[in-house]
Amino acid sequence: MPVYYLEFIVVALGLVLLMVDAFVKLEDKRSLARLAILGLVVVFGLLFFVKAPATAEGGIWNFYAAPDKLSLFFKGLALLSTILVLIMAIDYTPLVVAQTANPEPGAHPQAGLGEFFALPLFACAGLMWMSSANHLVSIFVSLETVSITFYILVAYLRRNVGSLEAGVKYLILGALSTGFLVYGFAWLFGVTGSMDLAGIGEALAKEGVNTTAALFAFALILIALAFKLGAAPFHLWIPDVYQGAPTPVTAFLSVGSKAAAAVVTLRLVSPFLASTPLVGKVTAVLAIVAILTLLVGNLAALPQKNFKRLLAYSSVGHSGFLLMALAAAPRVSVENAMSPATVVGFYLGAYLLMTLLAFLVISSLRAAIPGEELDSYRGLAKRSPFHAAALVVAMASLAGIPLTAGFFGKLFAFQMAIDAGQWWLLAAALVAAAAGFYYYLKIAVSMYFSAPGKEDDTSAIRVAPLTGIAMAVLMILIVLAGVAPGVIIGLLL
Amino acid sequence: MELTLNHFLFVSGALFAIGLAGVLVRRNLLIIFMCLELMLAAANLTLVAFSRFHLVEGQPAYDAHVLLFFIITVAAAEVAVGLAIIVALFRSKETTDVTKVNTMKY
Repeated sequence: MPVYYLEFIVVALGLVLLMVDAFVKLEDKRSLARLAILGLVVVFGLLFFVKAPATAEGGIWNFYAAPDKLSLFFKGLALLSTILVLIMAIDYTPLVVAQTANPEPGAHPQAGLGEFFALPLFACAGLMWMSSANHLVSIFVSLETVSITFYILVAYLRRNVGSLEAGVKYLILGALSTGFLVYGFAWLFGVTGSMDLAGIGEALAKEGVNTTAALFAFALILIALAFKLGAAPFHLWIPDVYQGAPTPVTAFLSVGSKAAAAVVTLRLVSPFLASTPLVGKVTAVLAIVAILTLLVGNLAALPQKNFKRLLAYSSVGHSGFLLMALAAAPRVSVENAMSPATVVGFYLGAYLLMTLLAFLVISSLRAAIPGEELDSYRGLAKRSPFHAAALVVAMASLAGIPLTAGFFGKLFAFQMAIDAGQWWLLAAALVAAAAGFYYYLKIAVSMYFSAPGKEDDTSAIRVAPLTGIAMAVLMILIVLAGVAPGVIIGLLL
Repeated sequence: MELTLNHFLFVSGALFAIGLAGVLVRRNLLIIFMCLELMLAAANLTLVAFSRFHLVEGQPAYDAHVLLFFIITVAAAEVAVGLAIIVALFRSKETTDVTKVNTMKY
């Protein structure tokens, strides 16, 4: 089966979902989400049966790279995060219904819910395509498929001012970054005379390349990618959008959108890193952005009071570690050093597991803890030991404690910086990691060792079965990847 | 006077700068949105100019034109979604002034 069928199947599934929503009278539209999850699980299974094509030239292969392990890994990440986001969305349904219901008499009580389950599929198809895009056109189109879907999803709660505000902010800044991206693409085309990444790489590696124009193009593209990745100083939208968006969408944004931005960054930056006339300046710029991102993300997370906002700054911080791996890449000369693609892939895999686990806990606690304020998580261990345990595992992994997936993610990133001799970068990363220990573990401590406030509800909290299973699986995977990181690395090499 | 690549690049660069300045300075969401479109138009002009002056076997490099059409299409989709969000915001807040959209802060 050709690999690009996977994206087509996901898009078709999304269309089917929309049609079913429009023409079939469903009592409970949550069955749409279950259908989507089922379909995505099947596609995830098909991922293991794709074959490399005999020839990867002409036709669609001009826009779509032949499958390699990295692209298949990222497709898997996209599918997995979409499945988990849909599980979260099922839990989150009452809130969406309350904010989008049609007030007219006789309307379906869940009118306006169907698209909430169908849209993530289109985003997923875009994310999957992006991991294989090898041409500026397909990179642009897949990136925009994802972005436009996310504009809708972020602003989905159309009677909630917070969600709309987040949607508008995301829309304006996302469109701004698109402007930078296409202008950068135009200049990149002007410098290299080529639109596919292989041709761009060849043209940039030549001696006579116009370095000023090439660096201008690089700067424009880096600005756009920094927006999407949430790297400082272009991270300002992240906290507001993460806080305002519906929790499942926040989770999807922080994982899916970041993974896709990272893989695009990897592909777009590597031609510049492989070019001898440019590599010095490009690395310096990347290192500066990485240092800024590490410090800003982790230090700004310290005083946060809202859980989603804290995770937003934490996601900025994690972008810093990803950029650190990229900035350190070209100078690695040690034998057996991992390639930046492997490090970034592993980091994103670990990041997906732990961030989605944290968001699963938040969204399944949405009914019991409405405000997402950190204080209301005090004494959670007494009310729901399972939720508290899951959150502890997620926080430990995000902080990078040994025996969790996050530890090896950080370790590999540090290793790259050490091998490359980027000492300033390393110093910033150490400060960032230390700050991370404080604010992540603060939550764990307050869940177990603080008594709940007097006015707080102290009743026990139940877990929905599907969510419970998902949380348990994620916890096991985090610990598994923390004990035997080779399992994930094996998928990448 | 003969038109060279530089003329086109200056014009498109100016367009991009005007668009960017508009996004940063203006407060009305609709005007900001128009300025964003201006930035995309600048990119389109750059693409076409590079393609026209980048002859491959006597023909312009048509790859750039393909990207241009995709940019136009995607921009239209973005406007459709964007205006819907702005209308929804206007319904609930009765304003399109970005400085009034600030319930979430540090």
